[in-house]
Amino acid sequence: MSRIRAKTDAFRAIADPTRRAILDRLRAGPANAGTLAADFRSSRPAVSRHLRVLREARLVVDTRIGRERVYAVNPVPLQAVAGWLEGYRAFWQTSLTQLKRNLEAK
Amino acid sequence: MSEIKTHARAVSDLDDGRVVASVELAVVPERVFQALASRDVVDWWVNPGVFDTREWAGDVRVGGRWRASGVARGAPYALEGEFLEVDPPRKLVQTWHIAGAPGTPSTVTYLLEPIAGGTRLTVHHAGLAAPDQRDNVGAGWRSSFDRLSEILSVDRD
Repeated sequence: MSRIRAKTDAFRAIADPTRRAILDRLRAGPANAGTLAADFRSSRPAVSRHLRVLREARLVVDTRIGRERVYAVNPVPLQAVAGWLEGYRAFWQTSLTQLKRNLEAK
Repeated sequence: MSEIKTHARAVSDLDDGRVVASVELAVVPERVFQALASRDVVDWWVNPGVFDTREWAGDVRVGGRWRASGVARGAPYALEGEFLEVDPPRKLVQTWHIAGAPGTPSTVTYLLEPIAGGTRLTVHHAGLAAPDQRDNVGAGWRSSFDRLSEILSVDRD
């Protein structure tokens, strides 16, 4: 169950456009909350709330460096989301292959 | 027939929550359209050992409903939706949803283009990854994901 739950939380986390933008920013390199708030011209509490959701979905990991908390992307749950899409991808790949077989057999 | 490509191809776009698939078929668009919008669906929504569509019924007009049911990994399932656009033999758009599940349905768009020797069929299945979900759908949403995962997923673990 925990695998499914993490996957669902990842979906919920990336449903928000600001959080997707934060993830894109973190793909370019780790950053702390202050830097992200400046980049996004958001209040620091707003950015912290988004970071908390991303952290709970395990889409970001935080490391304490001195007095700073630095955030980085954790790709593993995104792979779960990709895995979810992979099910649909496989469905259409298989089905269209079957359709071709059926239609061209006649 | 040398123009017709041999294999179906499907790719997913994670950012967009979309799967795009295409195949070239050595039959006329009219015949392909019929396979998309008739009981013929049961003959190709099939992946041996994973899912097997056994019934399909549809009222093929804008606003009409469709429903497919079958067995996936030993358990029954049903998919349903509504036709949004019916333009034979060029285009068919339908919503696609597991019966009884909460949440926003995804949308399947079939585009049929005549090519030398046949038809190119392209499928866009959109609205999959980032549905506009409210937090309070929680459990139901999760269970629909579980069920759809079971139906659709390839064996990965």
